[in-house]
Amino acid sequence: MGDTVVEPAPLKPPSEPAPGPPGNNGGSLLSVITEGVGELSVIDPEVAQKACQEVLEKVKLLHGGVAISSRGTALELVNGDGVDSEIRCLDDPPAQIREEEDEMGATVASGTAKGARRRRQNNSAKQSWLLRLFESKLFDISMAISYLYNSKEPGVQAYIGNRLFCFRNEDVDFYLPQLLNMYIHMDEDVGDAIKPYIVHRCRQSINFSLQCALLLGAYSSDMHISTQRHSRGTKLRKLILSDELKPAHRKRELPSLSPAPDTGLSPSKRTHQRSKSDATASISLSSNLKRTASNPKVENEDEVKFPGPLFSMVSSPSFTSPHPLLAPEREFIKSLMAIGKRLATLPTKEQKTQRLISELSLLNHKLPARVWLPTAGFDHHVVRVPHTQAVVLNSKDKAPYLIYVEALECENFDTTSVPARIPENRIRSTRSVENLPECGITHEQRAGSFSTVPNYDNDDEAWSVDDIGELQVELPEVHTNSCDNISQFSVDSITSQESKEPVFIAAGDIRRRLSEQLAHTPTAFKRDPEDPSAVALKEPWQEKVRRIREGSPYGHLPNWRLLSVIVKCGDDLRQELLAFQVLKQLQSIWEQERVPLWIKPYKILVISADSGMIEPVVNAVSIHQVKKQSQLSLLDYFLQEHGSYTTEAFLSAQRNFVQSCAGYCLVCYLLQVKDRHNGNILLDAEGHIIHIDFGFILSSSPRNLGFETSAFKLTTEFVDVMGGLDGDMFNYYKMLMLQGLIAARKHMDKVVQIVEIMQQGSQLPCFHGSSTIRNLKERFHMSMTEEQLQLLVEQMVDGSMRSITTKLYDGFQYLTNGIM
Amino acid sequence: MAQVEKRGGLLRKSSASKKPLKEKVVLMYDEIFMTEDPSKCSPRFWEELFLMKVNLEYLEGKLESLDGEELMKIKDNINCLFQHCIQALGEEHPIRVVNALQTLCALIRGVHQKNKSTSGFDIINMLMGFDKAELCMKNLMESLDSLLCAEGSESLKSLCLKLLLCLVTVTDNISQNTILEYVMINSIFEAILQILSHPPSRREHGYDAVVLLALLVNYRKYESVNPYIVKLSIVDDEATLNGMGLVIAQALSEYNRQYKDKEEEHQSGFFSALTNMVGSMFIADAHEKISVQTNEAILLALYEAVHLNRNFITVLAQSHPEMGLVTTPVSPAPTTPATPLGTTPPSSDVISSVELPLDADVQTSNLLITFLKYSSIVMQDTKDEHRLHSGKLCLIILTCIAEDQYANAFLHDDNMNFRVNLHRMPMRHRKKAADKNLPCRPLVCAVLDLMVEFIVTHMMKEFPMDLYVRCIQVVHKLLCYQKKCRVRLHYTWRELWSEKSELLHPAAIFDAQDSPRKETWRTLINLLKFLMSNETVLLAKHNIFTLALMIVNLFNMFITYGDTFLPTPSSYDELYYEIIRMHQSFDNLYSMVLRLSTNAGQWKEAASKVTHALVNIRAIINHFNPKIESYAAVNHISQLSEEQVLEVVRANYDTLTLKLQDGLDQYERYSEQHKEAAFFKELVRSISTNVRRNLAFHTLSQEVLLKEFSTIS
Repeated sequence: MGDTVVEPAPLKPPSEPAPGPPGNNGGSLLSVITEGVGELSVIDPEVAQKACQEVLEKVKLLHGGVAISSRGTALELVNGDGVDSEIRCLDDPPAQIREEEDEMGATVASGTAKGARRRRQNNSAKQSWLLRLFESKLFDISMAISYLYNSKEPGVQAYIGNRLFCFRNEDVDFYLPQLLNMYIHMDEDVGDAIKPYIVHRCRQSINFSLQCALLLGAYSSDMHISTQRHSRGTKLRKLILSDELKPAHRKRELPSLSPAPDTGLSPSKRTHQRSKSDATASISLSSNLKRTASNPKVENEDEVKFPGPLFSMVSSPSFTSPHPLLAPEREFIKSLMAIGKRLATLPTKEQKTQRLISELSLLNHKLPARVWLPTAGFDHHVVRVPHTQAVVLNSKDKAPYLIYVEALECENFDTTSVPARIPENRIRSTRSVENLPECGITHEQRAGSFSTVPNYDNDDEAWSVDDIGELQVELPEVHTNSCDNISQFSVDSITSQESKEPVFIAAGDIRRRLSEQLAHTPTAFKRDPEDPSAVALKEPWQEKVRRIREGSPYGHLPNWRLLSVIVKCGDDLRQELLAFQVLKQLQSIWEQERVPLWIKPYKILVISADSGMIEPVVNAVSIHQVKKQSQLSLLDYFLQEHGSYTTEAFLSAQRNFVQSCAGYCLVCYLLQVKDRHNGNILLDAEGHIIHIDFGFILSSSPRNLGFETSAFKLTTEFVDVMGGLDGDMFNYYKMLMLQGLIAARKHMDKVVQIVEIMQQGSQLPCFHGSSTIRNLKERFHMSMTEEQLQLLVEQMVDGSMRSITTKLYDGFQYLTNGIM
Repeated sequence: MAQVEKRGGLLRKSSASKKPLKEKVVLMYDEIFMTEDPSKCSPRFWEELFLMKVNLEYLEGKLESLDGEELMKIKDNINCLFQHCIQALGEEHPIRVVNALQTLCALIRGVHQKNKSTSGFDIINMLMGFDKAELCMKNLMESLDSLLCAEGSESLKSLCLKLLLCLVTVTDNISQNTILEYVMINSIFEAILQILSHPPSRREHGYDAVVLLALLVNYRKYESVNPYIVKLSIVDDEATLNGMGLVIAQALSEYNRQYKDKEEEHQSGFFSALTNMVGSMFIADAHEKISVQTNEAILLALYEAVHLNRNFITVLAQSHPEMGLVTTPVSPAPTTPATPLGTTPPSSDVISSVELPLDADVQTSNLLITFLKYSSIVMQDTKDEHRLHSGKLCLIILTCIAEDQYANAFLHDDNMNFRVNLHRMPMRHRKKAADKNLPCRPLVCAVLDLMVEFIVTHMMKEFPMDLYVRCIQVVHKLLCYQKKCRVRLHYTWRELWSEKSELLHPAAIFDAQDSPRKETWRTLINLLKFLMSNETVLLAKHNIFTLALMIVNLFNMFITYGDTFLPTPSSYDELYYEIIRMHQSFDNLYSMVLRLSTNAGQWKEAASKVTHALVNIRAIINHFNPKIESYAAVNHISQLSEEQVLEVVRANYDTLTLKLQDGLDQYERYSEQHKEAAFFKELVRSISTNVRRNLAFHTLSQEVLLKEFSTIS
């Protein structure tokens, strides 16, 4: 509760918040840097310093050509410390970047250089300050993005472009939409500064390439069609898709080589990294040569590996295909989208569901393949879609659907080969593991079971086609399966019945066991053909994983993972992505400021301007579904699910509810999230609420009917769960809101920046009008005192509670969409 | 038919003269039927022979007309002809190959027809000669194999399959067909699989290939090691198995469609003028007239696949989205390049138009659903022998399915819901269930429905005891799985069942909780009632106690293990309610078995088993009935409502002790060799006859072939 100093200055934050290097600013650059660098483990201080100095000097000195090539040297130096994996990959890219830059850069640079030079000279004094900032440990990716966006200095931009290489990949990844949007829509200097980094990362990771390509496509789509075709965004996209940036040219070769040389190759690469230019060039050249020479063979092997040439372009044989690397994945995504499109034409949910299942079962024929789910947080290959688990989600005219995907985790997607296909029916062998022991069966019975299929059946050879080595042991057991199962079962149900004495059981016990067992299983939802997803979403995730794993031929593999994804076809997810970023940012701000607000940003993959994928929130169903299925008020549902008021389970669920409610109220207020009906608010198994569907945020609201004028949605039902207006929890809720708002305000720029950059060149409805950003900033109330803020929160809560429009809107939704 | 061929054939000009002038080929046949070597005078005799269009009728007729001794005289020439046929199979020119294949058919058939009258005649010797037989057959099989596997003409392949079918079905009892020994040694299994795994060839020849395979598997099934059985049991190639599944599914759904068409025809024809009420009185009779020839061969193939190949089980559940509409092969719609989905699985053919057909009415289906529908049609009428066989085979297949782990897993999969339109026998006291209102449920419900449907509709004088036993076994096996895996099936489909509850118990109008499980109980109790009321008639023919015991034990399953698989506590209460409500039936059963088990009659032992099995049911009745009576007395109610009875039940569980019975959840695995061998022998015999007859009728006229090849040459 410490007094957080409210910074009054709405100025540029970086100029102010650098309290790190105070006082003797006359001190040498070096000292500042070493001071700052003490904790910077990633970069060798000296190297970084040198690099930066060099860049800036050169910038000051001027002419574009040098500025560009300097990037090369800078990298070289940065690279020199051998930091490790993250930077290691710089080995050959710089050389190539330079080549590419020469094509594009040469023309670009010469034009702008002169103007830039003049400006720069004026600003040289300021730049040394900037440099100090840039080199301080406080200079994080958020600042970098901010400067990249705000600075008009090509030198600064170029410098930041280089600095991007020093940040952790994950940190930069977060700002990828911003980077790419700047690349597409801002002037060339920014683009030039960003491009090398993007290109470099594309070489490193195929997943990154994919994301870039998709985002570039999606964010270019708002441009006029004629400019779009020639825009830099489109060009970069083509470059990525053309596979020239293949991370590939070496990695792809690896699988086709025998394992031994494979392992021998990579270390040798590592040793080459310092003298990258020549050595790597020759390596890449030779491998390129080899690639062309051995092409047919390589491709043949590939075809064996990817079962069927299916996700490689069907039309053109894969080896002439210009982008064989991304192609399978893109084909996979396309298939999923095509399914969505076809589902949309079917009239009923039930038909959609059945169709979905059969479509996916066909898709299964082509898996495993070199495809992955970009929303997952780890490298993997998709091996199977458990098609019967897929469900169609509730939507009036589109057909979003949820699929589960079985994946095998791997260390590095680019180097691991596609797992071999295991036919569906192999599960049976794995299944039998469960029911191996126990032979309480008489010999006659056993003999009988063996003799069902005489002669050949007892022949182990016959079954051992199942070449899953470790399973073979059980195979002879397999066809005695059910005998064993049953005997085992009778034993476990009869429990220690050895004697011939009659065993007596009380009918009451049976009845009691039945009710107990049913009570123990968490309340499942009833199947409703109009809402097929409710049951699937209600099932606890762990339970589902176990169940699917049991039924999967790949389930026995230790690196088996279950993923899920919502496929959205016909929806623009760019706003969702924006909301995700803001939520993520707020989440980390609150974490940093230790405010226990809870929100759950869910990952978004924008595929194009009208399609994408969403990572589903697990163990959560919508409040609409809760109310419809349980026919209870929210509070009663809490009591049913978690226990009575005083139980620990209930109290912690209630706390979770309050914390998440406060978090989302703030989110809704700050982002002006609209369309808040109960179908768009989820409730998870721990009591958290989660808002989904950020289709209407900032300046847009549904059909602009003017409903939902309150700051956020707070119904009496919510308040009831919190324990009523007078309860402690409700006060806690308001206090959380206040703390959260204060914390958010402190870091307003980090939030606003995300939105502001995305506004560039965007036609999204959330940016409609000219005052989107100003209004957003105003909602942070920078000028208010804490007391005033507290009052504001009170007012908002009050207003929302009383808001007749919330009720009206719920009523409206009930009437129009049947959402409770 | 041979006439038709002649006219259309090569010898059009000569035959147009209409003189008794013999065809050249016939003259050549005549030479063969001489004792002298025909190539003696014309060295190119054999070469020429295979350029001539075969006159099947003449050749077969001639062979048939000879008796054993006469035939023996020309043995050398026939051997020679046979050998040259085989040689000709290797020729490049397809005409020769075609002619050789046809000649072989005629030879084999002609010689066998002879064989019937004079048994002990050694056909192998007749055709090939003992010394050369092995080599001969090896060459023949190899040639057929390569013809079937080659990229050649489809009609040629078809002819190869016909020849093989001809060879396999030439005797009534397949196991007596000694030539097949060579087919066992020189396996063409791989060729059959290849046909099934390639969509185009499967479309053309899938049916023949599957039938051929089913027959080959049945050659000396129980006596020796049949390599086809071994090989079939280990096939694990998904494309092949799927292909086989598709062929079977298409044949079955074709039958279903034909039946439906006929049914509609009947209804519109006979009853359009009649009012519904009057009409429905007669439907039952009219339906008996609707019969479509059942297809046991394909059913046998399904059985062998399910029974022998554990991988095939997965195919049962494999969705065939296209299946509903594919009676006519989908026109080769050019794949629209615009469709982005590159999903053309190598296995499925009709989907090759990339997009699945977008007919909203077409339900996705799978082989199991098609099979269940087929079964529901076949099983409704078991009067004639064919249908009885078919019905029995359906139940055997269901038994195998019900025993299988994987099959059970998808039968009970809560996420795989289907609407299965089972055929229901129209009966006087129930309306035809409206198809549209069928709910989507896990497949196991459809299986249970089918069983209940059978039980309800076959309580008649000609009591199909064997089928009843199998029915109850299937239900029992499903319950065992549910118990083992703690599957709690949820039923909330009152609509479907309310009609039936009317039928079974018109007075009772039950409310929302009325579940099929309850109906199953009622159905079972009704069956018990039927058994008792027809005791004397039935006992004359059957051991009704095994059936009674099984039924009672199903109840025992529910009573003792209900906690593991019943969906709700109240369903357990309902079970008790049903037993108490129907206590009269159980009392009667008990007194009957008690009577018979105390008399020293032939049923003593069987009846006493039932007596023991009834112990818990009697305990329940004896425990609750007094309680209910006193409740009624205390509250002065003459007739208790269901709710009141349930209340009494719930209040008095704790004072009731049950006896745990052994082995309720165990069952004997299905075993073909021990119990069903006779049935399958008989079945295969009738299938063989059928296939042979169909071959004789229309298949060997090869005008298409000739057209095809005459243009090539």
